[in-house]
Amino acid sequence: MRQLLLRVGRQLVLVPIVAVASYFLMASLPLTTEDDNKRQVSPELAASYRRDLGVGEPLGFLRPWQKLFRGERLGTSAQGVTGDELLLKLSGSVGVGLVALVLALVWALAFALFKNRWRRGRLAVMGDAVPAVAFGTPVFIPALLLAPAVVERGNLLPELTAAFVISLWPGIFLGTLLGDALETELARDYVRTAASKGLPPGVVLRRHVLPNVLPALLDAIGPVATALLAGSFAAERVFGLPYFGQLYVLAVLQKQVAVVVVATTVFASVLVVVGLTVEVVRLLVDPRAREARA
Amino acid sequence: MRRIPARAWVGLALLGGLGALSFLAGRVFPEVLADTCPLGRDPSRPDRTVCELAFGGLWVSLAIGLAAGALSTGLGLGVAAVARLVGGVLERWVMRLSDAFFALPDVLVVMVLQLAGQSLSDAGSSAGLGPFGLMVVSLALVGWAGPARMFRNRLDTLEGQEFVAASRALGGTGPHLLRVHLWPSLRPFVLAVFLSRLPAAILAESTVSFFGIARMEPMSLGRYLGTSYAALIYEGGTRVVIPAWALLVLLVLGASLASQALASGPRRA
Repeated sequence: MRQLLLRVGRQLVLVPIVAVASYFLMASLPLTTEDDNKRQVSPELAASYRRDLGVGEPLGFLRPWQKLFRGERLGTSAQGVTGDELLLKLSGSVGVGLVALVLALVWALAFALFKNRWRRGRLAVMGDAVPAVAFGTPVFIPALLLAPAVVERGNLLPELTAAFVISLWPGIFLGTLLGDALETELARDYVRTAASKGLPPGVVLRRHVLPNVLPALLDAIGPVATALLAGSFAAERVFGLPYFGQLYVLAVLQKQVAVVVVATTVFASVLVVVGLTVEVVRLLVDPRAREARA
Repeated sequence: MRRIPARAWVGLALLGGLGALSFLAGRVFPEVLADTCPLGRDPSRPDRTVCELAFGGLWVSLAIGLAAGALSTGLGLGVAAVARLVGGVLERWVMRLSDAFFALPDVLVVMVLQLAGQSLSDAGSSAGLGPFGLMVVSLALVGWAGPARMFRNRLDTLEGQEFVAASRALGGTGPHLLRVHLWPSLRPFVLAVFLSRLPAAILAESTVSFFGIARMEPMSLGRYLGTSYAALIYEGGTRVVIPAWALLVLLVLGASLASQALASGPRRA
């Protein structure tokens, strides 16, 4: 328990570091010049952003958070965000991410089982080829290929398609890890003993092998959950989903500096929550983790 | 002489082949692609063929990946070496900092760094960094943490060997150990880590460019795909996306094969 709290504490430190670093980075940006570059903000807008950031005020770095807690809008009226809207958008992205995580686990299990079957046949090369294609495919490519069906023709649910698209490479990544663990586990004596006693292969797999293999996934699920949430940025952009990723990308493109500070900090907080959840789940499902910490 | 695994050769040959092809087709003989491209012209840029844009983008993406991969590997190696040489509290804190950095998603941090860099650039204080340099620096600032952790762990393992202990007992200093005894064993691992950073940098750059945040000119593969999005709503628009995607997959495949093979290759006895 002490080690768990220590790890969570270390992760929690990340949140104020990100908040302060992103605040001072954004507050120091020269947001206006005299030239006609279209990416520059006008002096009026720059002044509004600086008011949002509380530049020059005592404890100015708390200003964005004060505005959010008071229910005021951060940023310009059209592209800004209130605290409630931010939470709503975040819940949308996290929802898509959670569905994607479930899908990724399904792909992982399926790929691991197929890889194990392919290992002995002519399809062994697929065990290497599928991960190579998956890892070399950024999220936006399958999203772009499905976009006409989803956005233009309205054939599929955009949220579900986004979850499907972002779950592909994390699923194959987890499947690669699971496949390796499965291969090691299937070679153990207890599997042979169970099979020699007449248990069908499916039962051996379900009752004996998988419970021993699944905890191996937990080490990778934290980074994968992070990748799923970050990956949803591209899918949300392509499918036009009005969630957190879309807000973040637009805030960067429109130089909504206060929104960038708040969104970056909120995202770092989500990562801490993900890390904490993975640690707790590991304690619940893996007796070895409990014994190691006892 | 260390034997380089066959898979590493395949990966390196694929990378080299793609580099040579993009250089020859996109830079030296661009008119060949302009005249013979079977995929036709790009709908949103009718003055260029799809092949010209895809191979031109491949050259830019590859250059960014190589530069950012080398810089982030160098930074990671420097941080790990200094942390191991100094040791103690500094090493612990540096490694915790690298873990914290590693936990942040690449794309998000690169977007913030691009925003900062472009604002400085617009204000005329970018220290001479153009869009290419800005992207390379952003990717390197994001990508140093993983290599730093890997190099630190590898140095820790290598330092446990008997010949290192013997050299230390004979009065060998930290820099001497690093340069004379550890570096030869570390070198293939450095190459493997560099090759593993290459696809990560290319994919992060592609995603950020796809969002329209980077201002890369000529366009990288990611920016090309991002700006060609509208073509997909027309019949046959996938011909614009598929070639660039295939090149991206081959690039990542080559780097991954070489990196994995070198990292797990046979060790000198």
